Amino acid sequence: MIQLSRLSRTDWFGPLLATILAIITIRAFSENFLSLFNIQILLLAIAVNALVAYSQMIIIAIGQMNLSVGAIGGLAAISFVGMIEVWGLPTPIAVILALTIGVGCGVINGVLIRITGISAFVITLATLSIYKGINMGITEAQPFYGVPDSVKAFGVALVLGPIPWLLVPTALVAVGLWFMLSRMPVGRFILAVGSNEHAAGLSGISVNATVIIAHALSGLLAGIAGVLVVARLQIGQPSIGDDWLILSFAAPVIGGAILAGGHVSVSATFLGVVIVAIITQALVLFNIDPFLVQVVLGGLILAAVGLNKLRARRPIGRGE
Amino acid sequence: MTMQDSMLPSGPNASRNTTHFFLSNEFGLILLIIIFAIIFGVTANGFLSEFNLFTLGRNSAVNIMIGLSMMTVIVTGGLNLAVGAMGVSVAMTCGWLIEGVGLPWPIAILGALAFGAALGFINGGMVVRTGLHSFIITLATMSIFFGSMIFLTRAESFRELPSVFSTFGRMKFGGYLSPLLLVTMIVALALAWLYRRTLTGREMLAAGASPAAAELSGIRVDRIIILCHMLSGVLAGIAALMLVARNGAAIPSMAGQLGQDWLLPAFLGPVLGGTLLQGGKVSVLGTVLGAFLVTMLSSGLMMLQVGAFWVQTFLGLMLLVAVLLDKARRSYLARRNLA
Amino acid sequence: MTDSTPVFQARGVEKAFPGVMALSGVDITLHPGSIHALLGENGAGKSTLIKMITGVHQPTAGTLTLDGKQVSFASPRDATVSGVGVVHQERNLFPRFSVAENIHLEQLAGAYLKPINYRALNDAARPWLKALDLDIDPSTLVSELSVARMQLVEIAKALSLQSRVLLLDEPTASLTSSETDRLFTILRRLRDSGTSLVFVSHKLEEVQEICDRVTVLRDGANACDSQPMEGVGRQDLVRMMIGRAEGTASWRARDTTTHPEVLGLTNVSTALGHKDINLSVRKGEVVGLYGLVGAGRTELAKAIMGKFTITGGTVRINGTPVTITNVAAAIHHHGLGYISEDRKNEGLILQHSVLANVGVPIWRKLTRQFSTLFDRDIRTAALPYLQKLEVKTPSLSQTVANLSGGNQQKISVAKWLAASVQFLIVDEPSVGIDIKTKAYLHELLRDLADQGTAILVISSDMPEIIALADRIKVMDDYRIMGEIINTGVYDDIAPAIMNLIHDSVAPAA
Repeated sequence: MIQLSRLSRTDWFGPLLATILAIITIRAFSENFLSLFNIQILLLAIAVNALVAYSQMIIIAIGQMNLSVGAIGGLAAISFVGMIEVWGLPTPIAVILALTIGVGCGVINGVLIRITGISAFVITLATLSIYKGINMGITEAQPFYGVPDSVKAFGVALVLGPIPWLLVPTALVAVGLWFMLSRMPVGRFILAVGSNEHAAGLSGISVNATVIIAHALSGLLAGIAGVLVVARLQIGQPSIGDDWLILSFAAPVIGGAILAGGHVSVSATFLGVVIVAIITQALVLFNIDPFLVQVVLGGLILAAVGLNKLRARRPIGRGE
Repeated sequence: MTMQDSMLPSGPNASRNTTHFFLSNEFGLILLIIIFAIIFGVTANGFLSEFNLFTLGRNSAVNIMIGLSMMTVIVTGGLNLAVGAMGVSVAMTCGWLIEGVGLPWPIAILGALAFGAALGFINGGMVVRTGLHSFIITLATMSIFFGSMIFLTRAESFRELPSVFSTFGRMKFGGYLSPLLLVTMIVALALAWLYRRTLTGREMLAAGASPAAAELSGIRVDRIIILCHMLSGVLAGIAALMLVARNGAAIPSMAGQLGQDWLLPAFLGPVLGGTLLQGGKVSVLGTVLGAFLVTMLSSGLMMLQVGAFWVQTFLGLMLLVAVLLDKARRSYLARRNLA
Repeated sequence: MTDSTPVFQARGVEKAFPGVMALSGVDITLHPGSIHALLGENGAGKSTLIKMITGVHQPTAGTLTLDGKQVSFASPRDATVSGVGVVHQERNLFPRFSVAENIHLEQLAGAYLKPINYRALNDAARPWLKALDLDIDPSTLVSELSVARMQLVEIAKALSLQSRVLLLDEPTASLTSSETDRLFTILRRLRDSGTSLVFVSHKLEEVQEICDRVTVLRDGANACDSQPMEGVGRQDLVRMMIGRAEGTASWRARDTTTHPEVLGLTNVSTALGHKDINLSVRKGEVVGLYGLVGAGRTELAKAIMGKFTITGGTVRINGTPVTITNVAAAIHHHGLGYISEDRKNEGLILQHSVLANVGVPIWRKLTRQFSTLFDRDIRTAALPYLQKLEVKTPSLSQTVANLSGGNQQKISVAKWLAASVQFLIVDEPSVGIDIKTKAYLHELLRDLADQGTAILVISSDMPEIIALADRIKVMDDYRIMGEIINTGVYDDIAPAIMNLIHDSVAPAA
């Protein structure tokens, strides 16, 4: 029983239970659910959504929010295809440049936030419009179709069983993020700044550098997500990223993230992504209107933040 | 203090100092409006035409209303990301009440606005009960409201509305003044009166500035916050109904996906107008002027063939510049106050 | 405590802010192996001097010397690195990090990408924990520690940075008496091993117990400079701090035994943990509620006002049992008022004007039809009280944040005068107020009582309570420890109060 209470204090235990419960329940109603094909679809969705979630998670970790996640992803996506189609760049270079754009957008966010001292909400609301606007200005609302075959192939190829190649970058990112946040100083600094910015500064951490690095990372992850979406959709759609906002918050919050900063969980966020993907797929399987996904997502967010608040109620300093 | 104060002209809530503060903000906006009106009038062909002024009036009426809708929540120190979702829900409810239930349009409008208030009640109620920040609550409800609305309407528009809507949208007073703008002005005046001269409005400002102090001074802070959110819902609904009048139909995508398209105008108005995001201070006139300026700039730029797509970039830049200037102005004033 | 070479010195330090000279030539000398008290009333310049020493501000004139060499601290970080450690009143730890990580976070600041060796980190932390008698695993999360232990972790952190000077700002503010004893043992041990400690506190009894030198600031200058504590008594300290002897001559007897009870609590318990609270305040009576920080007094006051739930017992207003569900009901239906101890966050709305602040409790009374409320009505109602309290402000529309602490307090009092409450709770009335305003407020409270208001004064300042109250209730750990009828004689009443507190069982630490 002691083990159980310690387990329940971790972030991933609840989501894991919920995932297992969801799988069992849905499987009971629909035999198609765990077919290899379905698992593949699930994993494809998870591959992209996890990166979107991580992009926001890193900013939640420093106690801020990044409304421009979708806009950065979209901009990176269309730039990727655009550079190949219009400038004729080779794919690897285009990928690198697209990711650089992602990082650049993130750095702009971070720098603006630190220099102006204005809340991340307002800054990223403004940059969301700017990046989206640039996207629209370049594409004029028309997609870029020139996705090279190699990329298209990557988008559908399987590496092992039902596991798509698309999941590999995401898995690497997840492991890397986990290692960074638990073992590397830069990750600990990010959590420290989110936990207590003042104390972090007093401890010799450069708050400016940490915030900018976090935003750069967020932009990079959004960029990778954008590129992966292009591979999956097989076109450079200007609307990529338009629906990322809710999801980018839902998964980390289900995964126990504290919006005030200082506490996030890579594994639990991943489970959050899994739960959302499963529920989305279940709605499709049962022919329920896909727009209900929005309702479910909203409800999940409310339930999750409510739960997190209750869990965090354990008063600090009452221990021995 | 005793003698001098009774000889001071009885001013409104603003002091000499704060009058200057606000004055500089609203006055600056008026100046900018005049300047840009002149610039566009000269450079953009047809900017000052009757037709364009009419369109400008109509569009700014909607944008101002959206800004006012967000403003009422910013006053509490919170945010309402669900303005678009709520607005669209109200509009679709109105359409349904007319086409689906068969109610006469005045009743349908009232019913729909009441629904908007109910949505606001949900938001405000959750903020107050859970103590969670309105950002995450309204992020969630944005999704829930919009998703439910789309689900219930099957994403279909209501196009068979009584002609009074589109007539109202197309009416012109004196050739260029849209009645929509009049509605907005009346609402704005009512709001200004609310915050300056009524108990409820003053309590809203106090509760937004310092909930703890307000509560301990006898204000029912919880009720006030819920009221602010309800007001926001009604105003968002009015904005959406104006769009229905303009479009002649109730379309679910009028505010973009999840209503996101309204977020930028919703913030631009209040922020440009000097309503502080931390709550407790409001400028209705500033919001009106700010939203008007933004609409005018967008219109002017498009007439200058800047391209609709780049206008969004420009608006984002405007928001950035606006907050920067506002911050600089306030820290300058703060330093002067101390000196 | 031989007179060795000083480790830190401030000479002729001045600090000018726009419009005010916070420090006008202050000296302090810190020796190794010494616990040096830094005393001063609020507004005396104490916190400004602390900010100089810890690098938050730079002096506008004068010198700081560390180990004989002149230094200048560009930032708090700079001071820390040079060897000046500080443990603030608020915790500066990361709750979700381990103890070892909190202590050694500095060391990691160099390399961003080098993986952390947690085993080495824990080993490095152990000696520091041992030195402070902290018997905890270095890998424990800070969030699982008690407040007292968190403070010790912060001291460990300062020590690990080779601090030569360690400044402790109100270290015992949130500690129980046994935790304080433990802390003092540690401080003495640090002193004996050569560290130079600065002990900033307003608790004179503690200062006398543990410090060997004292510097007192008054009005931005030295009232005494690095004087040995031998032979310095409490009255001497007080005289240096306030420029005259502590006076309790102003107490006078008041007979209210025949007056009706306005507020009565019988066997009241609250959701916050109060139990068996019995309290009665009659019309025109001043009841003092004495207790140390953490005793639960403010919480009781707020429970009376309806902010926290009363879970048991009876609350009577004018003899009738009532249930007060929210603060608005307490104020508007029952005529209760509460002057908060936290003036800046709870007593006033700093960013609003004087007019907007002073009328809030009476807004409802002044509202006309259709919810209209005119400024001139508020002005008419509130102006007399502002004038009576001699509030100094250029105009009623002045932002409250720009006024002095004393004037701010006057406004928060005027607010309740205008509301004509029948029962007023005054919570720590003179925190952060200058002496003159303090005396003024005391007079005012006495007058109020004379005119019939029932008053409950909450204070942790013994002289203040003894000067004001007719009866004194002593509170500790959310219980009433006892009641003392006040005679105004400090030397009789003060020990009686202290006895009631020390008799209570201190919670296990």
